[in-house]
Amino acid sequence: MSSAEADALKSLVKQQAKTTKTITSEFTQYKHMDFLSNDIVTKGNLHFKAPNLVKWSYVEPFTYSVIFKNETLYINDEGKKSNIDMSSSKLFKQLNTLIIKSIKGDMFDTEEFTIEYYKAGNNSLVYFTPKEKKSASFIESFHLTFNDKGDVEIVKMIEPSGDYTKIVFSNKVLNNPVSDALFTN
Amino acid sequence: MRYLLISWCFLIVSCGSFSKRQQLTEQNTSTEIIINPYFSDASQDYVYKASIQVYNNNFGGLLIVKKIEDGNHRVVFTTEMGAKLFDFTITETDFKVNYILDELDKKLLINLLKTDFKALVQEQSVVSKSFTKDNYQIHQTSILGKKHFYYVSEQLDQIIRTGYRKEKVHFFFTDISNNIVKNVSIAHSNIKLTINLKSIL
Repeated sequence: MSSAEADALKSLVKQQAKTTKTITSEFTQYKHMDFLSNDIVTKGNLHFKAPNLVKWSYVEPFTYSVIFKNETLYINDEGKKSNIDMSSSKLFKQLNTLIIKSIKGDMFDTEEFTIEYYKAGNNSLVYFTPKEKKSASFIESFHLTFNDKGDVEIVKMIEPSGDYTKIVFSNKVLNNPVSDALFTN
Repeated sequence: MRYLLISWCFLIVSCGSFSKRQQLTEQNTSTEIIINPYFSDASQDYVYKASIQVYNNNFGGLLIVKKIEDGNHRVVFTTEMGAKLFDFTITETDFKVNYILDELDKKLLINLLKTDFKALVQEQSVVSKSFTKDNYQIHQTSILGKKHFYYVSEQLDQIIRTGYRKEKVHFFFTDISNNIVKNVSIAHSNIKLTINLKSIL
């Protein structure tokens, strides 16, 4: 991707982020580990409400939800509820920060990552590689696929071993009303 | 006097042994090797939703077991969102930590997981003694130098690890078909730790 195209993508994503107050989406998660015969596939729904409420609800093949709110994770594991301080789950925090930043459009300005831009058909593929060694020890790189409207369609988190977690979003709806009550456990 | 003392020690040990306490009847057996078939198919990905209770805390994740080749298993624990928490290779003679999250990198915890998972995935064990009780054939074996009792009815139902003549860890295998175990429970007696596994594939 040329630097002019990269700049165009950045401004498109930023513009999209400014007008995005809520997101409701389905997702399919693929956990790939080289030694497995098949990826582990889980499915669910994502809810986002600006500025920083996020809820991941897994519905298949088990029910599990996690809410990111005020530096705390609120977990509902098939009815068993618990809280986790986010500082003890760096990956959650980093993924979530990245998702929110990608929605807000401010991640391109961060000093945290080395950024590379690629074209993938009509989509754009952007690699974010953490500069800090501490985070790099569990994530080698984040690969985000944006569609031509500047929406994130795929998030792929690659571990140093080459194993990865890929989250593919589908049926994404922007700016529908999303109640705050959804973000209580 | 010395002989008396030695005999007496033997008497205490034999009276207090796990098999005596459990009133197991020793028998001669032709079974030389006991098989745990539940993680023995290399073409199968064994994936479980795990629920762990440690003292009064609950946490969960996915436990993934894969037989790589004979006598070689990978045991990986991830969060539901896919983040790896630990990744072990367990072979006949070796135990390797491929990855563990810094916060979990504690020798005591790793040793505990090593002992539990070794017993969970070990496919063949040499029988040293056999017993019967009720409908069970019970085979005693040694894993990592610790006594393990395999309770077999129509299939392997339980494994009990003992130490100092008492039950230390109890493995229950339930809801079994075609050598796939749908539910596994690993309950520790001396610490408040229970691991429940429910197959999701």
